[in-house]
Amino acid sequence: MAASAIRLPPASRIERLRAFTPVIVLVVVFAVIGAIAPAFLSIDNLVRIMNASAIPLCLALGATFIILMGSIDLSVEGVVAMGAVLTALLVQNGANANDLGFLAIPLVLLMGAAFGFVNGVVHVKLQIPSFMVTLGMSFIAIGIATVMLAGERVRITDTTFRELALGRVLGIPMGVWVALAATLVAYVIQTRTRLGRWIFAVGGGEDILRLTSVPVGRVRILAFTLAGVFYGLGGILSAAQLGQGHALMGQGRLFTTITAVVVGGTSLMGGQGGVQNTLVGVLIVVGLANGMVLMGVPPYVQTGVQGVLIIAAVALAVDRSRARIIK
Amino acid sequence: MESLGSIFERAKLERRRLLLTSLAGLGAAGMTGLAGRRAFGQDQPQLANSLRSLTNPYHASFAKGGEMFAQSVGAPYEVLVTEGNSEKGISDVRALLAKSGGNLALCIDPNDTPDTRVIVEACAKAGASVVTIWNKPADLHPWDFDPNYVAHISFDGAPYGKQMAETLIEKMGGSGGIVALGGIFNNTPAIERKQGLDEALAANPNVHLLDFQVADWLETKSFEITQAWLTRFGSDIKGIWAANDGMALGAIEALRAEGLAGSIPVTGIDGIRQAVDAVKSGEMVGTVDWDPIWVGGMGLSIAYHAHTKKIDIAKEPHLHREFYGTGVPITYKNVDEYIANYIDKTPTIDWNDLWGRVSGQIRAG
Repeated sequence: MAASAIRLPPASRIERLRAFTPVIVLVVVFAVIGAIAPAFLSIDNLVRIMNASAIPLCLALGATFIILMGSIDLSVEGVVAMGAVLTALLVQNGANANDLGFLAIPLVLLMGAAFGFVNGVVHVKLQIPSFMVTLGMSFIAIGIATVMLAGERVRITDTTFRELALGRVLGIPMGVWVALAATLVAYVIQTRTRLGRWIFAVGGGEDILRLTSVPVGRVRILAFTLAGVFYGLGGILSAAQLGQGHALMGQGRLFTTITAVVVGGTSLMGGQGGVQNTLVGVLIVVGLANGMVLMGVPPYVQTGVQGVLIIAAVALAVDRSRARIIK
Repeated sequence: MESLGSIFERAKLERRRLLLTSLAGLGAAGMTGLAGRRAFGQDQPQLANSLRSLTNPYHASFAKGGEMFAQSVGAPYEVLVTEGNSEKGISDVRALLAKSGGNLALCIDPNDTPDTRVIVEACAKAGASVVTIWNKPADLHPWDFDPNYVAHISFDGAPYGKQMAETLIEKMGGSGGIVALGGIFNNTPAIERKQGLDEALAANPNVHLLDFQVADWLETKSFEITQAWLTRFGSDIKGIWAANDGMALGAIEALRAEGLAGSIPVTGIDGIRQAVDAVKSGEMVGTVDWDPIWVGGMGLSIAYHAHTKKIDIAKEPHLHREFYGTGVPITYKNVDEYIANYIDKTPTIDWNDLWGRVSGQIRAG
């Protein structure tokens, strides 16, 4: 798996191995859990892991573009909640007379894009760190979702829409196919478009890039908008999977998202990693969570294991030879 | 009827978030404040309920209960909303104390435990009467501030956790394996409800706990854990106990993804609307409603009765000063009756039956 689109010419053998670290970790994690709890590797369970990975994958894809730029996006939980609530209110539901069915999807994606766009514009134009902007936007999104529902939950009664999560093609839930399609789209954007390459460039060295004709500010705004679309998709899938929408629907998603991106080997300093890494990262994080329940790891140890995993992943994946200052 | 203990405890952890979330709700709060009538020159004391936010169904019902009581005695009523902000909660109470000249009966769900003492002291100084709900420091007792600190009402999670486990076991036919989903570890409701589950398990040796996992009150987490359980235990799972309705619903969706919804009984607690619907449809077998209308109305009624000297609160036993209220269990047996009495119509409550739902004195510590 390639470490980045911009390849530094003389890559030593260790360097090349480092790029494969996440895959090695994935194989080791799955092998070890499989050895302790053989049911882990059963087809049924692998399908379940895929199903549980679908939403985190969509979210982590969006976050990947942001982290590649060396920024951070904490608006995940808010936009997911907003997306789920909006979805639930647009398809046939228990609260109003709407019945847009699958037409709700483009509208919710548009909402995600709008949130991402505002993230980007505020971050770039007002020169506020992405950390603060996106945190604030998350609260705003949850606030709007709360007000829209007056604290209630909306149940989705549209069974056709729920097929998005419950239906199966070739024995694999539809949500997984949707997430895979999203991964493909993200991969194409990353490798085949100018935006994709510029995102890497911004993460690799924005100071130098500013001396060129690359519109750095626009790249940042576009990247945040793109991320918002992926979070919106995550919200749609959440609504389909749980059959409802409420303002706390995104809770707990941020930690998994950032963990998955980082564990996949995308550097928090930017410029290193990519969509393919994120796919591996999500499988590690979700597989481990599933495996720990299978192995009977006590609940209070599980969170600790995830923390160790993040530190270990970063320690393994970061290329220290290029790091000058660690803050 | 949104989840209760769970929502509360989670909200505590997320104070900052709630603060910001509530910005959007400020408009609504302001309007409610304006709606209250002035108490000057009236025989009746000013009545007020103080609560976290009108954006959750639990507190909306809580406020409605207070209004129902106020109407029944024809007294002016005001709703104070803290929006998760202790400072605002306390200063609103102080403002109302000043406005009413201490002629105030207040029922308050304090935003945070330490607020309780400040509010009680302010009420005692002004000569108002206050009843507190849920949050109170363990070493502060109503009888420390006779007669102004009238009473404190809370709910004990243990008997209801136990009752739901018993409902589940009964539905399972008295034997088999169950799995259980708990709330955030150090939350009081999570601990109490789990304790109730343990008691029921101890009394039913034919039922064994296959696994206990913590899903932090969240349906997304419970969804993933339930999936993993299906792999680990498969058809050995004969029942799922969840410490709140959100987690119960998450478990049901995990079952649904495998075509198993309705074939494995699930219980929750808190009585949220979706859970009641799920009990009705047979996907859940039980939940517990805390009846916030009763809490908001009766808390105010007790404060009012003490304030207007209809009862001599200082002479009441400690059982009436610091007690656990009674929840309303909803099971597959009584769900139709529940819907008819509580959802299709607003239940009529005898506001003079002050101690009818006392189910025990609050344990120390």
